[in-house]
Amino acid sequence: MKRPHFFILTTLGAFFLTLVFVLARTGQTADSPLETVRSTVDQVIQVFNDPANQGPGMRAQRLEQVGAVVRPLFDRREVAKRTLGVYWQDRTEEQREEFIQLFTTLVEKSYGETLDNLYQKYQDQVEFFYDQETIDGSFAEVTTRIHNPALNKYFAINYRFLKVDARWLIYDVVVENVSLIRNFRTQFYRIIGKTSYEELVEKLQAKLRQLSAAPASS
Amino acid sequence: MLRKLVLAASLLGTLQLGFILAVADAQMENPTLDAAAPVPISDPFEPFNQAMFSFNLKLDEYVLRPVATGYAAVLPLGARQGVGRFFDNINIAPRLGNKLLQMKLVGAGKELSRFLINTTIGGLGFFDVADSWLGLEASHADFGQTLAQYGMSSGPYLVLPFFGPSTVRDTVGFGVDGAMQPMNYLLPTYPELIAARGGWVVGSTINARSLNLELFESVDRISLDLYGAVQDGYLQRREQVIRDALQK
Repeated sequence: MKRPHFFILTTLGAFFLTLVFVLARTGQTADSPLETVRSTVDQVIQVFNDPANQGPGMRAQRLEQVGAVVRPLFDRREVAKRTLGVYWQDRTEEQREEFIQLFTTLVEKSYGETLDNLYQKYQDQVEFFYDQETIDGSFAEVTTRIHNPALNKYFAINYRFLKVDARWLIYDVVVENVSLIRNFRTQFYRIIGKTSYEELVEKLQAKLRQLSAAPASS
Repeated sequence: MLRKLVLAASLLGTLQLGFILAVADAQMENPTLDAAAPVPISDPFEPFNQAMFSFNLKLDEYVLRPVATGYAAVLPLGARQGVGRFFDNINIAPRLGNKLLQMKLVGAGKELSRFLINTTIGGLGFFDVADSWLGLEASHADFGQTLAQYGMSSGPYLVLPFFGPSTVRDTVGFGVDGAMQPMNYLLPTYPELIAARGGWVVGSTINARSLNLELFESVDRISLDLYGAVQDGYLQRREQVIRDALQK
């Protein structure tokens, strides 16, 4: 009698241990900033490889789909707040929402265009490397590289994450040691300092119109 | 002898100017990502810098980019990359000198080994066999970095005609690195020296631009204030180069 009982218990134990292990692993994978970057880049590549998205005429559609893939990954409010810096405090909630919309669209377009240009030129010769993940409390940084086959050169792209409600979200992208948030902040401070916040908004709107009207050659 | 005196005097003058200006402005370091912090960039020479920036843009638009595009059309990418490696290889003197000044003896040894291997087996440096066969990777060292290691702050931002973004400290470094070139002392006459240095600068600049034809355009495309974007991009990358020098 003892033997079947022992067998059932062992089987159940093994089953639950496996389940716990799988769940823990799945949870860890979903939550890990590095895996988040890896799976997002994989999805972006799927967009690029999709037969329905091929050719220069489908560029706008590709970029729209890339935007939809990367958008949930960014803490859009944090990105906008850090970029506007000291000028964030003086804005009304309505102005903040408008700025978040304008600026994050610009970031999405820049990121999408950069990857698209590279991928359309070299297709599957482009290699992505996910090197390291450093977590420090509620901050994390993922270091990655993209290998450009034509130049035989690696480009470093680091993603900075912030943990918000148990989710890792990107608040900055560092391309070849240049933080995009800091770079845009420098530009925005100069524009506001020399003119006004309203002028900055107009410039952002004009830039987005320009990007939509004249897509970069791929 | 006269030439050595002129070089030494100009070097001292540049160093002195750099030191005074750098001491007067010591608040450009330690950038922070804190959202409330102002962007710590000192640009008291902005009117001059803006003029030089516009001049460099025009020079690029009307001369450098068209020439580099034509050059890229006749010389294949692999050959241009080889030319880039050749220029890097013969530029060993400032790298070696600065590794020694930074007390990085292993790094200096690697530089010397790379130079000897690539100049001989690597066909005057056109091929980087020191890296591909022996894993001796290329590294960077300049006098601006050395000055930073000895505690000199960057000083205000400065845009140089022809050469682009810099700071007062890095301009001093640029001058000293140029003075470290052995050809300054080996070539017998001024015309030969000017021709050799001019040829070097023009050749390496056109070659480098041909390898990055779209880089500048992509920055311009997404920037709202190109001057600010280039300024900050330069400063952030220099900060990293200096952090690397301090860490290794």
